Amino acid sequence: MSFSSRRPRQNLSAWAGVVPFLVFCLVFEIVPVVLLLLGSFTDKAGAFSLSNYQKISTPIYVRSFWNSIQLSGITAILGAIFGLLIGYAIFNLPSPRLREALLALSDVTTNFAGAPLAFAFIVILGSSGVVTLAFEQYLGLKLYPTFSIYSYSGLILAYLYFQLPLMILLIIPAFAGLRREWWESAHNLGANSWQYWRRIGLPILTPSLIAGVVLLFANAFGAYATAWTLGGSNITLVTIQIAFTVTGEVLHDPGAGDAMAMVSLLIMGVCIAIYQVANSRARRWAK
Amino acid sequence: MKKQNSIFSLVLIGIFVLYMIIPIIATYMFSIATKWDVSILPEGYTLDWYQTAFDHPYFSITLTNSFIVSFSAVLAGLFFIVPTTYWVHTRVPSAKPLLDLLMILPFGIPAVVLALALIRVYNFQPVARSPFLLISGCVIFSMPFMYRPVSNSLMAIDVHTLTESALNLGANTFQILVRVIAPNIMPGILSGALLVFATVFAEFTLANLITGASFKTFPLLLVEFTKRDGRVAAALSVISFTVAWIASLAILWVSGRGHKPTEEVVAAH
Repeated sequence: MSFSSRRPRQNLSAWAGVVPFLVFCLVFEIVPVVLLLLGSFTDKAGAFSLSNYQKISTPIYVRSFWNSIQLSGITAILGAIFGLLIGYAIFNLPSPRLREALLALSDVTTNFAGAPLAFAFIVILGSSGVVTLAFEQYLGLKLYPTFSIYSYSGLILAYLYFQLPLMILLIIPAFAGLRREWWESAHNLGANSWQYWRRIGLPILTPSLIAGVVLLFANAFGAYATAWTLGGSNITLVTIQIAFTVTGEVLHDPGAGDAMAMVSLLIMGVCIAIYQVANSRARRWAK
Repeated sequence: MKKQNSIFSLVLIGIFVLYMIIPIIATYMFSIATKWDVSILPEGYTLDWYQTAFDHPYFSITLTNSFIVSFSAVLAGLFFIVPTTYWVHTRVPSAKPLLDLLMILPFGIPAVVLALALIRVYNFQPVARSPFLLISGCVIFSMPFMYRPVSNSLMAIDVHTLTESALNLGANTFQILVRVIAPNIMPGILSGALLVFATVFAEFTLANLITGASFKTFPLLLVEFTKRDGRVAAALSVISFTVAWIASLAILWVSGRGHKPTEEVVAAH
């Protein structure tokens, strides 16, 4: 504030430099989303109406929300638990080179989402996939038809492929925040390692863990390409339903698509807000 | 006790590594296998599937389209996001919270929702379903990947002293940005550009919904083949993976050693 009262003119002209970018964001992001929001509250004649929201309270749409929330929740929690364990194992590796290599692997693989990833899982776990065959020939286990890569259990495996490395990348900086001296002091005061983790380690990691879980949840909730390539229309997820209203599938009402999009934005918004709060708490410990 | 712990750790890491590389190695092998559905290893090797992919009329079209969209997003990042970030850092620090917020928003908007919003609003010619609309959507969706590394690099160097010294020597803003600031934040700019390139190149959702069949990109062709011919789909996946590998390795290389790229990827997420 002080700066605008001191040099009002210069500041105003400096703001002018940001205008093109703001206009771009308005034109291609903010205004379309706001208009979508307004549109979701109007009926076909343009009058205010909640009919679109009534439409999405029918079983098929409720089920797609439930499926999306379940899939995102399961992969976020499994990703967080295993990401924490594997992240800790990587963090404690004696060889810095190996540590770097594993971090680089996580960097690359977390970006391998979408169609190529989905196809890679069909190659290994499809009905005649490599891993499917290996299980059958060497372990005598028939994966099909109990398991199918084209079903929800398959989707969980495919989603974990990009969730796990993301969690590892998120949690490793948090381990760096756990000072050696804390463990030493706790140990000198007679704490065993369980007590150390229960009273010191985990409480310090908690904000990072929460940040990780919500980010993973949002990451899975917004995903589309992987699920679409694997399951196509057999899988009812929110993103797939919204896409149907765009591609003009007969059964799907555009109004319902707008309402679903808004509910998704709300869910994503809550995730991002929790992430921001948890992340700023986590930063207090990070060096 | 300690030993057991480290064995447990190594087993965990081993399983993780297998989980991460088996799908990729299997896809590479599947793309060069003659027949591979009864035994653990392929029965023979061939490059026929690549030949079929290359000969497909849409192969070069979709590859070109994907390069057009990815390079446009990179150019928009270089000539639009980078100068704006620099400007906000040096001239309008009061706009930084707004810029940070705008750069987080794309993560809160699922690609399907962005596509739906853009299609609804721009339903008139010549913008409707045009490559231009697709590129604009891709710029929105990928701008945080450019912003984060550049913003971090700007914070790591003394932008104010550099800017003031250059001003005192008579340089104008354009000269300062191109000849003084850009060389100092080059690793940030390069990793941002590569991240933007890699994410936009692999982008499926916006392309499928906004332009669809009228301007097919490479991932669209790949998805089409997963339903038609798995062998060719494998060859196309390998090409896609290879582009992602090259971009990622280049990011690690330009960012130098240490954990910097990791932090950037995390921050960008």
